[in-house]
Amino acid sequence: MNTNLSQLDKLENQSIFIIREAYSQFRDVAMLWSIGKDSTTLLWLVRKAFFGKIPFPVLHIDTTYKFKEIYEFREKYAKEWNLNLLVAKNEEAIAKGMSHEKGAFQCCNELKTMALKKAIAKYGFKALYLGIRRDEHGIRAKERVFSPRDEDFEWDYKNQPPELWDQYKTKAAEEEHLRVHPLLGWREIDVWEYVKRENIPVTDLYFAKNGKRYRSIGCETCCSPIDSDADTIEKVVEELKTSKISERSGRAQDKEDDYMMQKLRSLGYM
Amino acid sequence: MADHPKTVITGLDGVPFGMIKYFADSGVMPNTSELISKGIFKRMCSSIPEVSCVAWSSMITGQNPAAHGIFGFMDLLPKSYKMTFPNYSSLKSAPFWDEWAGESVIINVPGTYPVRQMNGVHIAGFVAIDFEKSIYPKPLAADLKQMGYRLDVDAHKAHSDMDSFLADVDKTLSARIEAYRYLWDAVNWQRFMLVFTCTDRLMHFLWDAYENANHQYHSFFCDHFRKIDAVIGEIAGRMGKDDLFVMHSDHGFERLDHEVHINYLLARDGFLQFKQDGEITLEKISPDTKAFALDPARIHLNLKGKYPCGSVEHSEAEGILSQLESLFASLEVDGRKVIRDIYRKEQIYSGPYLDDGPDMILVAAEGFDLKAKLKVHALTGKGPFTGKHTQDTAFLLVKGLADPAIVPDEPAVSDIKGIIEKGLISA
Repeated sequence: MNTNLSQLDKLENQSIFIIREAYSQFRDVAMLWSIGKDSTTLLWLVRKAFFGKIPFPVLHIDTTYKFKEIYEFREKYAKEWNLNLLVAKNEEAIAKGMSHEKGAFQCCNELKTMALKKAIAKYGFKALYLGIRRDEHGIRAKERVFSPRDEDFEWDYKNQPPELWDQYKTKAAEEEHLRVHPLLGWREIDVWEYVKRENIPVTDLYFAKNGKRYRSIGCETCCSPIDSDADTIEKVVEELKTSKISERSGRAQDKEDDYMMQKLRSLGYM
Repeated sequence: MADHPKTVITGLDGVPFGMIKYFADSGVMPNTSELISKGIFKRMCSSIPEVSCVAWSSMITGQNPAAHGIFGFMDLLPKSYKMTFPNYSSLKSAPFWDEWAGESVIINVPGTYPVRQMNGVHIAGFVAIDFEKSIYPKPLAADLKQMGYRLDVDAHKAHSDMDSFLADVDKTLSARIEAYRYLWDAVNWQRFMLVFTCTDRLMHFLWDAYENANHQYHSFFCDHFRKIDAVIGEIAGRMGKDDLFVMHSDHGFERLDHEVHINYLLARDGFLQFKQDGEITLEKISPDTKAFALDPARIHLNLKGKYPCGSVEHSEAEGILSQLESLFASLEVDGRKVIRDIYRKEQIYSGPYLDDGPDMILVAAEGFDLKAKLKVHALTGKGPFTGKHTQDTAFLLVKGLADPAIVPDEPAVSDIKGIIEKGLISA
């Protein structure tokens, strides 16, 4: 029954090591908190790593299209955990009425990527903690724990430092910022088992109501719930053990489709 | 077939018969002119609809859309109004390189992304996205990257900065040429196919520069074709005397006078209706909808059983199609007929995927570009584009056929595969 506990302990230890290692290299860091289950788990680990007192800001990229439950959760725990919460928005794009109706690709780019770029420039962060996991999406399988981005945010996944035997390259070149992924080796089910073990709060959107629940949460406008009767953590864990459907299947438009649409639009189609 | 004659195919995306003839006659394309004098040069029909992915899929398989399964750049997922983008994995028939013996080099054929294992080298064309998924075999990707190979020009640039777009066109063409030269020698191929696609982009944005010798980009336009002609000459010089040379386009082009919005027309006349919550997308179609269009002018009846909000009974279909036919046949803008041909799917398609296709397909009259955009507020419009595709003015040039009668009097893009097969047998 408890065979996975040692696995969870290993994951936890490794993540805390990565979190502390990165902080010892960079003082100008922040953690991205999307308020979903993964980044909330990361936040939990960061609190553990620094004994409850996080020595850097927690950054929420707010597209303004998030679920109301997400905003409520943010306010509640920012206070309860005494976070130095920074909320970043691309105010300019929002004022111009940017929304998913202008194309999901463009909307994500303006309200997420551009908002983050502006925040990095404004606060001068050298490194960012993110709660991404390798099993989430095909492209993320190529990620590293310490992943450099250049000034254009480009990720040159073919020019990455190797990370053999857990020897991480934690230095970044001048113009780069480093992305730190302490949860990279976690699987979706590890996160849920850890949430259960540690009793980490997560938003109710993950639990089934009227036969539907969200498995992955982004903006309200571009997310759809999956069919599910899992209304407790136990049932979510049970469901994941049998599901063959990808975690992000409820997220709108695959990025390739989006890119394709952009290409076609540039030639007057659609 | 002791000496195994080779085949070279050069594609010029979108280039019309008249333009090739004009450039050949006026000295811009001297090598092409010489090939024309030694071979067979004909006007050719494209696929219906005349868009690149359908036309090239028809060319490489020798089939029509109901057999190869590609009806357009986008389609709907089964039993839904959700958009999907068919690609090479959706192609239901084998391309010639999977059928013919020997190695092939295939560069930049639209509609062939993502690549898969094949006998030879394959670099995917429009719409190719991920570099690694566009190149077979994989190790070649590093070499191509080093050459600065680009899958496609960034057409977004043409909307804001024409000079930077044209710089991109130049770089894309040069890298393509470098890749062809490298692979020509590196691979022991039986057939070599090289497609130039910047031609299509140039004509979309700068048809006016072609027509008007005083246009600031006229010389750029002509130079682009001059460069392609130099490659054609180089290739012709490197071929054996028994080898087969094919040069062709997938569709033609002409001046764009008006874009005409078919879904606007359908909505105006009550055939297309949306649910009352303000959003205009196909997914918000109301059950009162009788018909809707997908780009460029594929008319789908909202059939019961086929679509989630489908309401048209099969017994009503014919009646609605006749109403639509009169609507389209009588459509005029500026006193000119907008639609040249109206086809029922059975007239032009045959094959196992007929039911997936549109029920009616329109071909525009000269100067009109049919579009299926939804968020438009008028029947006609004019964007930044000055040129538009044509269905009946593509070209075909074949040199090296023992029997010229192998080329039909009125060839279509789906005939090319058969022409090459017959040509190689008779050689």
